[in-house]
Amino acid sequence: MSSAASSSRPLMTGGGTARPPFTSLRRRVAGSPWTYRLIVLLIVGAIWQAFALAIHSLLIPTFTATVQGVFTLLGDVKVWEAFYLSNQALVIGFAVSLVVGILAGLAAARFRSIEGFIDPYLNILLVTPMAALIPLLIMSLGIGMASRVVLVFVFAVPVMIVNTRAGVRQVEANLIEMATSYGASEGDIWRKILLPGALPAIMTGIRLGLGRGVTGMVVVELLFVGVGIGNLINEFRGSFDPDLLYAVVILVVVEALILINIVRVIERRIAPWASGTVLRE
Amino acid sequence: MIEVDRLSKTFPGRTGDGAVEALKDVSLTIRDGEFLTVLGPSGCGKTTLLRIMAGLESHDSGEIRVDGKAITGPGPDRAMVFQSFALLPWATIIANVAFGLELRGVAKSEREARAEQLIKLVGLSGFEKKLPGQLSGGMQQRVGLARALAVDPKILLMDEPFGALDEQTRRLLQEELLAIWEQSRKTVLFITHSMEEAVLLGDRVVLMSPRPGRIVDIVEVPLARPRASAVDDMSGSAEFAAITADLWRRLRAMQQSGQRADAPVPVGASA
Amino acid sequence: MNVATMKSRQVHPPRFSAGAMAGRVGAGPIGLLIGAILWELIGRVAEMPFFPPLSAVLVRLGELTADGLIIGNLFNSLGNLVIGFAISAVVGVLIGMLMGAYRKVEMALDFYVFALLTAPSLVFAPLFFSIFGAGNPRASIVGVIILYTIFIVIVNTTAAIRSVPKPLIEMGRSYCANDRQLFTKIILPSAMPLIMAGLRLGMGRAVKGMINGEMFIAIVGLGKVVSSAGDRFDAEGVLAVLLVIVCVALVAVKIVQVVDSRLTGWLPSTSRQRRRNA
Repeated sequence: MSSAASSSRPLMTGGGTARPPFTSLRRRVAGSPWTYRLIVLLIVGAIWQAFALAIHSLLIPTFTATVQGVFTLLGDVKVWEAFYLSNQALVIGFAVSLVVGILAGLAAARFRSIEGFIDPYLNILLVTPMAALIPLLIMSLGIGMASRVVLVFVFAVPVMIVNTRAGVRQVEANLIEMATSYGASEGDIWRKILLPGALPAIMTGIRLGLGRGVTGMVVVELLFVGVGIGNLINEFRGSFDPDLLYAVVILVVVEALILINIVRVIERRIAPWASGTVLRE
Repeated sequence: MIEVDRLSKTFPGRTGDGAVEALKDVSLTIRDGEFLTVLGPSGCGKTTLLRIMAGLESHDSGEIRVDGKAITGPGPDRAMVFQSFALLPWATIIANVAFGLELRGVAKSEREARAEQLIKLVGLSGFEKKLPGQLSGGMQQRVGLARALAVDPKILLMDEPFGALDEQTRRLLQEELLAIWEQSRKTVLFITHSMEEAVLLGDRVVLMSPRPGRIVDIVEVPLARPRASAVDDMSGSAEFAAITADLWRRLRAMQQSGQRADAPVPVGASA
Repeated sequence: MNVATMKSRQVHPPRFSAGAMAGRVGAGPIGLLIGAILWELIGRVAEMPFFPPLSAVLVRLGELTADGLIIGNLFNSLGNLVIGFAISAVVGVLIGMLMGAYRKVEMALDFYVFALLTAPSLVFAPLFFSIFGAGNPRASIVGVIILYTIFIVIVNTTAAIRSVPKPLIEMGRSYCANDRQLFTKIILPSAMPLIMAGLRLGMGRAVKGMINGEMFIAIVGLGKVVSSAGDRFDAEGVLAVLLVIVCVALVAVKIVQVVDSRLTGWLPSTSRQRRRNA
């Protein structure tokens, strides 16, 4: 980590050692992550383009065609309507899963004695492919908003319960002891110590749950209930518009990213002391 | 013999802070078999000096020569004992002690035999198969010491090895270190921020001061050797108190004059 | 001293408390047993077509197995799982290590890794299908499994490499370790716990990817069986196959946990518990 001796530092005398042009710009570009991300994107795009042109398949669009497709879709009212329709289920389902997930997680952390009993169920929940439950949902609630909302809920809730519980449990015990020694009641401890302390992990759970909720939103439409985004995907498959198909997929991914970033921004506002969180599922 | 010849090292500043002169024109000669302690407030460059000697850090100008040859990187003639112990948590004690030998390609039976000897020397017989997590801090540092001795270095570099331990453990280990050293008389460079420790252990105390890091004085410790068996008497003696008090006076002066100046805190240079 | 405080002073002997008994027998199996009983009772009483009692589901499972629908498809699905997981593990750990070691690689890839990690991976199933075609469903399914699994492996591996304590690496260097020795003797063992955590999470995801992929492609495997049962509104059938899938998933994750224990036996028990419950 040593620098060369001071002589390499530019002297501020008149007509002193000249630096090569654009040094500070070059340094910023070389140091910025976006440079490298762009390079990766261009490499992937080039490979994709070459592959698609070589294969000449009706089903595989070129990189450029896909990019065009994205813009085409963004300008199409039908697409926005589909996204709006799908997202209704997401919003409602996610809101419910937020409330239930956090409350259940807090309860699980509070009643430690039943931990042994509920652990296997949580493990099963985390591992079950919820998509397989869709037929049961349709049998009970029909093909409509209700089953879509329930599916979003069912996708998002397990990870929120687990993270909330973990968040409460990792609050340092000596903080609780300290508060008790100052005469805090149980309610005080929850409000002033456990909830703020668990907040980073809860936010992580929310972020993860949101990602899964988006998945649930799309999955049910893709597999069973032909509305919204899932319907678009199936439509483009049928009409052999591969560029539009790929473009929709990209738009879905972009939506998930935007939503998650919004949560990140909120997280930084309300829990600024949280340093990098380790991914928990 | 170790010769430090006008050693200088500057750490480039991070954006916003200035660069830090960790060492400026530091010169020093260490005799073979000498126990040299280095004392000074944080930022005086004592750890940087040690790390350059270990080959972990580069330097800007000047040279360190061991028996005439300049140091360019880590080498088999030097071994380091770390303040944080730096033991491999997944390896048994005997594997940890043998680690330096393992890196050199020494065969397993041979290196374990040697490790066994050293484990006995530091008083940890019976703990060979344990993991570091099962040992107390004082025991872990003994493992660190055993590991350093296992490679039979000419020079032992010790970076505040007892800094992370409680007072009582520290005193016991100081005695034990003296006893072990008196048997082998290796050259030792020992960093500390405790005046008592510096005087108790060292033949000479190098006093350093920060901003820029430089040697202010080298104080002879005329206390008799061997000391290991007489530690308690020694640390109670008037002579000991006088030297320690003098060192503290000078350290305190350094701290106070340092607080007036508005210099940046060195990055990575402090102990 | 009033009645209230006197009562609160009494200590009841804990001989027959539920907690004590659960501790002896194991809370897990008891909890599952209670759940099974509830399932049976509610299923019988409620009489809703989409919530059949446990017994009916088990009967249906027997029928399906007898018809040969379960075993063959199970092996088919497991084949997909093994291939997909293996590729994800090897490639994922490799990429994770590169990202952990080289800042530039991390800067280049982390955005995409995160994007694909959080995106609904199933939307890529139609894309795989268009590339590999209907003649090669296994390839599409394995592709979906990889998408589900690889990114969490990468993220955890990167964190694992990052988490190696710097003093340990310096210690290695001070004892003249070369780069290869630093990697095999210090970095790899130190990173192993988090890498295994990533693989454990990856396995859970891989099973989901397997089923979701198979349900979408709907040509082979257990996913196909679920899909068909769903089309016929055969609730017992759906739940029967789901039972099998959940068992597969739990066993698979358990296997990873066992391997984990073998490789990271040195980890102190408190942090192991923390990791398991994460």
